[in-house]
Order: sequence, then C-alpha cells, then structure tokens
Amino acid sequence: MTGYLVAIATLVGIRALLALGLNVQWGFTGLVNLGVVAFFGVGAYTAGLLAVAGVALPAAWAAAIVASALAGALLATVALRLREDYLAIVTLGFGEVLRLFLLNEAWLTRGANGITGIPRPLRSWFPAHYDLFYLGLVLGCVALIYLALERLRRSPFGRALRAIREDETVATVAGKNIVRFKVQAFVIGAAVAGLAGILFGHYLAYIEPNMFVPQETLFVWLALILGGSGNNRGAILGAVVLLGLLEGSRFAKDVIPFLTGVRLAAAQQMLVGLLLVVLMIKRPEGLLPERAP
Amino acid sequence: MSDVTRRQVLATAATGALALGRPAVLRAQSKEPIHIGTLCPLTGAGGSYGPDMQKAIVAVAERINKAGGIYGRPLVLFHEDDQTNPEAAVRAARKLIDVNKVVSMCSTWASAVTLAVKPVAVEGKVFYLSVSGADAVTEGNHGGYVARTQPNTRLQAQVYAKWVLTRKEVKRVAYMALQTPYAAPFGEMFSGVLKTGGLTISDTLIYEDKKPSYRSEVTRVLATNPDLIMLSCYTPDGTVMAKELYRAGYKGAVLGPAFAVNAKFVEGAGAEVAEGIWAIDPAPSFDAPAYKQFAAAVPQADKNPYAAQSWDHMTLIGLALVAGKGEASGTVIKDNLRTVSNPPGTVVTSWEEGAKLLREGKKINYEGASGSCDFDAQGDILSRPFGAYQVRKGKIEQVSIINP
Amino acid sequence: MSAQYLFNGIVTGGILALPAVAFSLLWKLLRFPNFAVSAYLTVGAFAALTANRGLGWPLASAWLGALAVTALVAWLVDRVTFRPMRARRPFSLAIASIGVTFVLENVIRFVWGNDFRAYDVPVTRAMTWAGLRIGREQLDILGVAVALMLLAQIFLTRTRLGIAMRATADNPPLATVKGVPTERVIGLATLGGGALAGGAGVFLGLDTSIDPLLGAGLIISVFAAAILGGIGSAPGALAGALIVGIVEEVGTLVIPPTYKSAIGFFIILVVLLVRPTGLAGART
Repeated sequence: MTGYLVAIATLVGIRALLALGLNVQWGFTGLVNLGVVAFFGVGAYTAGLLAVAGVALPAAWAAAIVASALAGALLATVALRLREDYLAIVTLGFGEVLRLFLLNEAWLTRGANGITGIPRPLRSWFPAHYDLFYLGLVLGCVALIYLALERLRRSPFGRALRAIREDETVATVAGKNIVRFKVQAFVIGAAVAGLAGILFGHYLAYIEPNMFVPQETLFVWLALILGGSGNNRGAILGAVVLLGLLEGSRFAKDVIPFLTGVRLAAAQQMLVGLLLVVLMIKRPEGLLPERAP
Repeated sequence: MSDVTRRQVLATAATGALALGRPAVLRAQSKEPIHIGTLCPLTGAGGSYGPDMQKAIVAVAERINKAGGIYGRPLVLFHEDDQTNPEAAVRAARKLIDVNKVVSMCSTWASAVTLAVKPVAVEGKVFYLSVSGADAVTEGNHGGYVARTQPNTRLQAQVYAKWVLTRKEVKRVAYMALQTPYAAPFGEMFSGVLKTGGLTISDTLIYEDKKPSYRSEVTRVLATNPDLIMLSCYTPDGTVMAKELYRAGYKGAVLGPAFAVNAKFVEGAGAEVAEGIWAIDPAPSFDAPAYKQFAAAVPQADKNPYAAQSWDHMTLIGLALVAGKGEASGTVIKDNLRTVSNPPGTVVTSWEEGAKLLREGKKINYEGASGSCDFDAQGDILSRPFGAYQVRKGKIEQVSIINP
Repeated sequence: MSAQYLFNGIVTGGILALPAVAFSLLWKLLRFPNFAVSAYLTVGAFAALTANRGLGWPLASAWLGALAVTALVAWLVDRVTFRPMRARRPFSLAIASIGVTFVLENVIRFVWGNDFRAYDVPVTRAMTWAGLRIGREQLDILGVAVALMLLAQIFLTRTRLGIAMRATADNPPLATVKGVPTERVIGLATLGGGALAGGAGVFLGLDTSIDPLLGAGLIISVFAAAILGGIGSAPGALAGALIVGIVEEVGTLVIPPTYKSAIGFFIILVVLLVRPTGLAGART
C-alpha cells in the first residue's frame, strides 16, 4: 500500500506543478493557455533526450527548463495579442502540433517509439527506498515553486499582472507595458510546466509522444479551477483532489462489480466532465478562492 | 465440490475487496487466494480489442477455479483499465502490485504502455505478459519477468515479405501504414526483403489516425500503380482505408495483418469491399484444439488474436503456478514459464490437461490458442508458423501456412 | 491528377462546411467558441446509427432523425449549461463546453462502447468522369451540404427570425432594446446549429467509420474554416471550409500525410496574424 501511495503522491506532485504553472498564466494574469501539455512535453523530451545521450543531469535539466521557457516565449510573442477566444484555439493547436512533431521527427525525438531507459537521478545512492527519495525530490520542487510563486504574487510584478487581468486599459493608462508583462508571465508558467515534464520523464523512465495529448491539459485546468484559480494553495489542492477522485473510483470499482470495463471508464470520465461543468456554473472561484495578498 | 469452491471464491473475492490493505485477514484463511492483475485496454486506441481480451482471461480463470484452483488456492482477478495510456497504466500497475499484491499482470496491448509498465513490474518482481510487438519490449535486462506472445516486428515483416514474393503476379508493391512504433521499422524490413527479391516499392506512406478523410492518401498511392498494397493498420482505420480503395476503383491485391482484417473489419467495411483482401498472422490456427476451446468459451472474441493471446497468458500463468507447486510469486511463475510452455514434454492444450500431468510429475509443452507459445531466453516468442488468410464471401478463410 | 486532389478537397470541404457554419454562427451569437460542436457531430452519427441499424430505418430517414436528435441535445446543453453562464467571460463558457464534450462523448461510450461501427449501406465504386473519380456517396453528401447551406443562408437573410438572429449577433444590447427576444433567438440558433453539426456527423460516419471520437478528429479543421471565413459569416464559413478542405487534401502531395492535422492549425495562425477578421471581415 505504501508503495502505491508514494507513486500516487509523486504523480500528484507533478500535476500540482503543472497547475501552479498555469496559475501564473491564467490565475494571476488571465492568459488563456490550452497548450499546457506542450511545455510539459518540451521539458520531458529535452531532459530525456539529453540524459540518454549522456549529458550530466543538472545540465540537461537546465537546458530543459530553458527550452520550455523559450517555447513559451515563442508562442507568447506570436499569440498573446490575440483575443482570448482565439488564443484558446491557437494554444490548443500548438499542443497538437508539438505532439505531431514529437511523433514524426524520429531523427530528433525517436518518433513513436519514445525514449526508453531515461536514467533515474541518484539511483545508486538509494538502493532501498528510491521511490521515497524521488517523492521527496518532487515535493521539494513543489514547495520551492510554491514559495517562489507566493513571493511573486505579493511583489509589485504580481500586482501588475493582476491589474492587467482585471482591466487592460487601466493598466495601460497606469503606464504598464502590457505585452512585456504578459510574455513574462507566460514564460514563467511554461518553465514551471517544463520542470514538471523533467520530473515526469525521469520518474517513468520512459516517455512517448502520445503521453502529451490535449486531455492532459484539460486535467490541469480542472485541477486549477477546482482548487481555485489565482490561489497557489488552491492549485495544489486541486491536483490532490482531482487525482484523489480518479484513483478513488478505482477502488469503488473493486466493490461495485456490475460496473465493468468500458462502462466504468466511461462513467469515470463522464464524472470528470460533469464536475468541470458544474464547477464552472456553480463555483467558478474554486474550493480556495483567491485572497488579496 | 465445484459449487462449494465457486461460492468460496466469490466470498473471498468480496472479502479481498473489502479488506484492501489488510492482507492479514486473508492470510488467516486456510486456502489463501492467488491474486492476478489484468491491464487490458478498455478505453483509448486499444479499446476495441481490450474488452474481449479481459473476457478471455476471466474465462480461463473461472475454469481454473471451477477445477479446484491451484492446489486448492483460488485465483482472484483484479481488473484495471490501462486506458492505452502509459501514465495511467503505470498508476494502475502500481495499484495492482502494491495494493492488490498481484503476483502477475497480463495483457497490455500498446507497446508504449508495455514499455512504461515494464520497469514497474520488474522492480516489483511481478511476472508480466503482453501482446506488444515493439522490439524494445523484451530488450535489456529484465531478469525474466517480462515475456510476450506477439512476435517482434522484424520476424513479422520478413514473413509478410516472404509471402508477397510467392505471388508471381506482383511486381509493384506500395506500403501504407498507420503511425505506430513499428510502422517505420516494419516498412524498412518489409521493403528491404522485397527489393532484394527484385520487386519495386512504388510508394511508402505513413498516415495519421482519426482523420476525416484518407481520399488523397489513396489517390497518391494509386498514382504509383501498385499491384499489391501492404496495409499496416488496425481495424478502424483499416476499414476506412479499404472502403476508400474500393471507391477509388482499385482492383489489385490488399494485404493486412489478420489482427486488423477480422470479423469486425468485414462487418465494418462490408463484405463486398473486404472481398479478396489477404491477411497474415502469427496465428492461431483456427483448427488447433486450444483455439476451439477459446472460441467456444468467448465466442464474441472469435478471430481477435489478442484475445487468443490473453487466453494463453492466463493459461500459462496458471500452469506455471501449478509447476511451482502452489507457491505463488512472480519469481515462481517466471522460473516455471518455459518448463510448461516449451518442449520437451507432452503436448497439452488446456490448463486442466496440463495441471493434471504436472501433478503427476510429468513434463508438459503447452500449445496455445494463439500458437505454440514457446519462449526464448529473452522472453520473445520463438518463430513459428504463420497463417495466410483471405476474405472469401464475407468469411475469413485460411489459405496457407507460412514457415519463416 | 491534381484535379482529383481538388475534387477530394471539395468533398472534405463540403463535410466541414456544415459544422463550420454552425460553430461560426454560435460563436458570434454567444461570444465563445463552443467546443461541444465536435460532440454534436458524434451525437448525430450515433443517433442515425441507432435509427439505421437498431430500428432498421433507411439512411435518409435516419439522417433526418439525427438532425432532430442532435438539435434537441444541443438545445438541452445550452439550456442547462450555457444559459446560466451567459454573462460570464467567453473563456469560462469555452471551458464549460469542453466539459460538455467530455460528458457527451462518454455517454456515447457508455451506451455503445468503443467499437467502431458502420451504417447499413453498400459502398459503391466511384464513377469516372473526364479522368476524375467521383464517388456516389460523396456526390450525395456534397449535394445535401450545398442545399443545407442555401437553406441556412435564405433563413438568415430573408426571414424575420433570421434577421433578428443576425441583429442579436451583431449587437445584443441594441437587439434587446429593439424588442428582439434574445433567448428565443439563441434557442433557435442552437437548434439549427445542432442540426447542422448532427447532419455532418452522419456524413462523416458514412464517409469513414463511426466511433465515440468521430467529431474530435475534425475539430481543428472546423475551427480553421470558421476563423478563415470570419466569425459570424455563413458564406464565409462555407468558403473557409472549402479552402481548408482543399489545402488539406492537396497538401498530401507536398507534406507528409502524418502532418495533416497541423495544416488547419497553420491556417488559423496565419489568418489570425495577417487578417484576424477573416475572409468576410471587410464587410462588417
């Protein structure tokens, strides 16, 4: 049982990072990003490919974070001047195009085969309880990012982001360079998603393009909206509750035998969709609503 | 007796479910059940194969329990959906291993899923069988905990090419493949053998899944005038492609894998479209005794070779457990796999038959529903006869046997 | 040969046009991109499947049945989900519509399972005309699609309700002041949009095969067509659909077919960056 709980906690930690990253973009700044999975993928792939090629892990990880940030900067510069409904579609498409790239450019990404044998950091140091160590690493990253983002939220920069979210015109009048702030927020969010990708790849030791499908983005959104957008603790709580629900239904099935196979899976996903709809209508502020800093 | 055992099993299954995380309760019972996990794809791309695979596993497990279990110990199955999604499958596998304490897991389908679950299984010393074809599945040091019943890509491609070379009327061959981990390596191997044999590869086209139309893909390939199109597909995209080829007036030969060109394929494309399409498989010979038992027990899975492989997975696990004298662990199963699957030994075609001989101390060699089920040291299935089939008047008929 | 690709593109465009028009008009009217249009396609395909295979209706009547069922489903979704959220910012509605898509897809999966299915109609060989291969089903699909487009256009420009609908789309507060019953107009547009998408779903199922993800594969192309045509313009969406269809099919010659989905995305990007109002934009 412990082994299973450790595994779930690790994956919750990775999801929490994704939700924290999205929170900078959507929660703080009001920027729509339906392509979260793209930056997750860039992080995982850059780190995975470099690590497998024998690059030292710290260097590979630094490169992966830079690569995700650059991808974020690229998309942001091109797309952030669009209206938000267009931005939704463009970011969604960006995620899909990245997946196609990973799938088809086998010379670089190993294509549909994926990357096998991604080394697990410091494996030999912890022969007995490696999973616990890795959980510690992930939770450490979550704590670090949480503290950093809390600082950012309270800083003048964070206030400027909120001002842009509430009213762009007023913010412009107040002399803020809106586009620069938006791009910066987007890049920070992308880098955090990249970090989540790094941890994901090294945890599974294997990644492949179809791990990075739009549905993953949907789950990140669900976690953030569930927890409370704008609130960093909400983002983390959302990830915990969401994966808790998904995993919990697994055990429900062991007790309810008549709901089997495809129907169970369908019912589970139906509930996820329903939850999203009901939340959007009834409680858009989430479990932990945003507080003034 | 069998009735009592059955009730007992149900009762233990219920206790097992309620007593999650409290294995002590189970240990107190005299006949401790053996836990096996299934990881068939019930949703996602493999969703059209997985449900039948799971049914086949359940059918074998029920037979084993009805016949008294493994030295009196009943099998209890725990089902998880791998969602054809590697990360979801890893979570599910963790749950099976750490919570349900399964000693063996079987029947993941997609290579990507199998590759992701593999390290988890090896680390947990759980014996793991799959139907995935990618070469990497059995590569590396996995301590024998991994095996599969699907031949690897290289062997399959050679067999397909060899068959094409026997068709004297074929001069130009086009290769069309759905984007999968083996689309490219299969194509290279297949085309290489054909070129050596003096044939021309007129076009190679890899296509994307779930597109609203494949008209122009077909137009492009037909422009190169092939006499035979090798269509490396799954059932859903394969039917769409076959319909499109038919509409476009293509009159040449089409060859596909038999796991795609099955009864559902004929139903979906229509008998007229499917007429004459060739298929090859490392296949169950439909006349084999094990296959007949499988088809009778799980009629809806007939001609689904993955379900036939799942049938063999559960049977092999059950036999290896008997060979282990009722001691249940992943290590016991992996150590006894080849004892029950490979020659020498009396050929058996069902668990009951094999278990009886094993208890008498005899050697056995299981010949399964999906083929002879002989494994090499790395966990790959040894080369074995393939079947060639053709759709004739809406029925899939075996026309020849190919020896690699 | 290239004429063949052009024709293929026109057929694909014909199928795309129906959901693209529905999506475009609903976007303009309700001010958010309704992702659930992709699920409406799937609902239509399965409604017709049930009528055709389950009740034994001929495909033409099954198609009409699918129009009605999908219209109703779309109306219910609007009533339950989007109506309480009318005043919210567009993105909240878009996210809710993704949730709706998830629910509908999985209701279908719950009932019918994951297996792919096909209608009970024979597949026919294409006719050859001037070197062009023209499929009968494709011709039928194209004909019905054009007829539906014409009907929609006549409705929007010649009938009182249609004109009211366009007025509401252009300026909702003004329309309300002028006495246009906004909710009735929205209800009607949703019924119409649902019917168009459902009808297209049947065509798509007829052309390919039917499974719970039927509509999902088309959605980026539909977005591309609507944006290219200019949001809110029915003729624009039609033109956009034809262009997207043709570019996707002819593109097979130049880029690997595995990148087909990316074509729609690049069209969206280029249009938004160069001419965000789309083809029809200049007029409004």
